[in-house]
Amino acid sequence: MNEDLIIFLSVLATAGRVLGLVLLSIVTGWFLSYGAIKGKIFENIFISISEVFESVPVISFFPVVLILFITRIGGPLGVELAADFLVFTAVVWNIWIAEYQAFKTIPREMVEVGENYRLGFFSILRNIYIPFSIPRIVANLFPSVSDGFFYITVSEVFTIGVTTFQTFGIGTEMQALIAAGNTNGIILAFVFLAFVIMVIIFFLRSFSKHAVAKYTVDTDTPVIRRGRFSFKNTTRRLSSTAATPFTRLSKYYRRRNPSVKNEMFEPERSGVNYSRYILATIGLVILAIILYSSTLLVLSVSDGEWSRLLALTPQIIIGLLYDYSRVAVVIAVTFVISITLGYYLAINSRAESVGVPLIQVLTAFPAPVYFPFVYVAFYPDFHAVFGPLTSEFFVIALAFISTFYYLFYSFWMGVKAMPSEYQELMKNLNMGFFSKMRRVIIPSTFPYLIAGISSTINSTWGGLMIGEYWPSIYGSRTLQVSNGLMRFIDINTRSGNLGAAAWASFVFGIVVVVFSIFFTRRMMDLARKRYVAEEGVFAA
Amino acid sequence: MRNPANLVGGVGSGQPISLLESVSIHFSYENGYKVFENINISVGQDKFVGIVGPSGIGKSTLLRIMGGFLAPDSGATYLMGKKITKPTPKVVFVHQSIITFPWMTALENVMLSPRSMKVPQSEAEIVAMKALEDVGLQGFEELYPKEMSGGMRQRVAIARALAANPMVLLMDEPFSHLDELTAEGLRQDIYNILFRVDTPLKGVVLVSHNLTEVLELADEIYILNNIPATVVGKLVVDIPRPRSIRNPKFSEYLDFLYTKLSPPGGKKNE
Ligand SMILES: Nc1ncnc2c1ncn2[C@@H]1O[C@H](COP(=O)(O)OP(=O)(O)OP(=O)(O)O)[C@@H](O)[C@H]1O
Ligand SMILES: [Mg+2]
Repeated sequence: MNEDLIIFLSVLATAGRVLGLVLLSIVTGWFLSYGAIKGKIFENIFISISEVFESVPVISFFPVVLILFITRIGGPLGVELAADFLVFTAVVWNIWIAEYQAFKTIPREMVEVGENYRLGFFSILRNIYIPFSIPRIVANLFPSVSDGFFYITVSEVFTIGVTTFQTFGIGTEMQALIAAGNTNGIILAFVFLAFVIMVIIFFLRSFSKHAVAKYTVDTDTPVIRRGRFSFKNTTRRLSSTAATPFTRLSKYYRRRNPSVKNEMFEPERSGVNYSRYILATIGLVILAIILYSSTLLVLSVSDGEWSRLLALTPQIIIGLLYDYSRVAVVIAVTFVISITLGYYLAINSRAESVGVPLIQVLTAFPAPVYFPFVYVAFYPDFHAVFGPLTSEFFVIALAFISTFYYLFYSFWMGVKAMPSEYQELMKNLNMGFFSKMRRVIIPSTFPYLIAGISSTINSTWGGLMIGEYWPSIYGSRTLQVSNGLMRFIDINTRSGNLGAAAWASFVFGIVVVVFSIFFTRRMMDLARKRYVAEEGVFAA
Repeated sequence: MRNPANLVGGVGSGQPISLLESVSIHFSYENGYKVFENINISVGQDKFVGIVGPSGIGKSTLLRIMGGFLAPDSGATYLMGKKITKPTPKVVFVHQSIITFPWMTALENVMLSPRSMKVPQSEAEIVAMKALEDVGLQGFEELYPKEMSGGMRQRVAIARALAANPMVLLMDEPFSHLDELTAEGLRQDIYNILFRVDTPLKGVVLVSHNLTEVLELADEIYILNNIPATVVGKLVVDIPRPRSIRNPKFSEYLDFLYTKLSPPGGKKNE
């Protein structure tokens, strides 16, 4: 009985962590985004940082986080903060960027009303900006919550060298139950977890329906579209899920200097001008802290250590190539499943009413918690089929489960947001499935697909990180592949060789950022220029 | 026509201070598109001023400059002789696209303006109720904009503007989303509300495509044309109120406006 209660409480603790951190992301995002639209320098720093961190898979900087929180803070608080930080970084960028996009694309007329009546800082946030951002936040909540749950269970318990750090939650509890062979406890844990997740999803679904009804700006209202093509206007039409940063856009924004002030109708409140400097200062201080701590870190590494790290680099690159091939497989499978299932659900309202909530619950259910059982139960069957590639298969399967929802949601929303005239047109022309896909659906959901693919790529790394080296996945069995960067990072973290792990994450981070600049951004630009067909629609 | 620049008395031209006056406005958008070249507009006390011009000529932009929402490249706007550098509740702008906040009821939408001027809650509510009543929306206070027709929403937006007790109202096509019958009713109501003694309102600027509407309401009409736009003509409407379109002067004015409004292009005025 007492044990049941503990299991239940551990589920609540985990859920509380995820929801609390999502909430924290939302609230901080409002202030930061407001700062970003008010101060040019702050905006550039905020967006550049979010952009980099968003494109670097969270899990890859876990080792660095571990060093900081465990060695600097230490104790149970350090462990708790390390876990929280990992989850925070999993959910926060998506939400921050959604809020920033909302603030950036709020109709000029609405802001003018606020200016006209000189609403104060809190008043303008509360009455105009925050309500306007709600649909976009809601659109990002489902994948964020799923992502949060995914990481919380693996971050609650981790091993460095011989020391295991853990904090109370279902991830930790589950490991203890497996170790003790407590089948009843395990089943109970699953039931509680399923129950809590269903409650959360139910609540989120009701809230998103409410939000769509109340907070979306009615498309019937004739909001004037300005004649000239402008990037600022186009962002408004971009997907609610598009998680792309818009630094480039801000470059198109030039501030006009107010003409010489002679006799003014009302003296400008002096605070207005100061706030710009304050924001710029805050931004610069953040940047300075990041630069300072990286410099310290670099300086603290001895020459001998450097040459050792450099010697590891070829191995890191080879591991990276292996991992990119895995990513490619995951993306291909995800793509096919998302566009077929996503399209079927989006046009079939009966299937949708069952299918979508089901997928929402399933994806929020943390894969790392149930995967060991799947692994053990099906290993023999798959071994018969895949032979020596069985581990490879399981790793890719885990990565797929942990990530396909990004592309799925994105595409599904893209189809929902397609102008209904397109559907009618396709029916009218009696187009076949492939013709529809190729000529209409994929082009018109292109921005959503790109946004979804880029998020999917990023979170595939999380699945690989867990799967490529998973000691005692069940009892004494270990899931592992022979080559892979994530495996490299995993093994070095566990053996306490944090320097090598951090170096590998760093190299990886650079590759990812370069990839995002040369691939993701280009695709997003292309998407924006050619394939934007509608105003973002916020589907619940 | 006289030289447009001389049409209105500038600051220091010896004429009495205007209520709202924009002097030698030059303006380009950030993409380099030049919208205005030397625009001068003056709104006298208790005057209803109309602005007409072809679509896309810059009428909305001009109202934004007059309200302090956009800073001109050169030139300035003065309210009672004092320069406007940023938007103020003394000059309220009613947008061309109807702007109501979908997350607020009609009453909350209207209360936004008195509340932002630090009027206490209960008093703001009275002011807002009164404004809603003025635009004929009593009984609809608790509806959300999505539950209202376009015309009702525009009336909410107008009520919100009135509740701020402005000195000047800048109205951008306020009636264009309404059906003709509703528009006609509202036009008369608005005119009557506007110049009632108990309001601090001293002047109105109305932008409209509808020439009949402008002729019906305005004391003076500025005509914008050309690219970049300039004031190509100013018309003082000398028809006694209530005005009838059957008044022969009415069609005379209408013809004048039409000739001035031929699309911008080759033919440069004067
Ligand atoms: N933000 C902007 N950036 C660049 N150009 C703009 C912007 N807003 C408007 N324009 C351009 O400035 C010109 C004037 O626009 P404005 O909206 O003021 O015209 P308008 O006279 O009000 O037109 P309408 O009668 O259709 O409402 C147009 O050519 C328009 O394309
Ligand atoms: Mg206009």
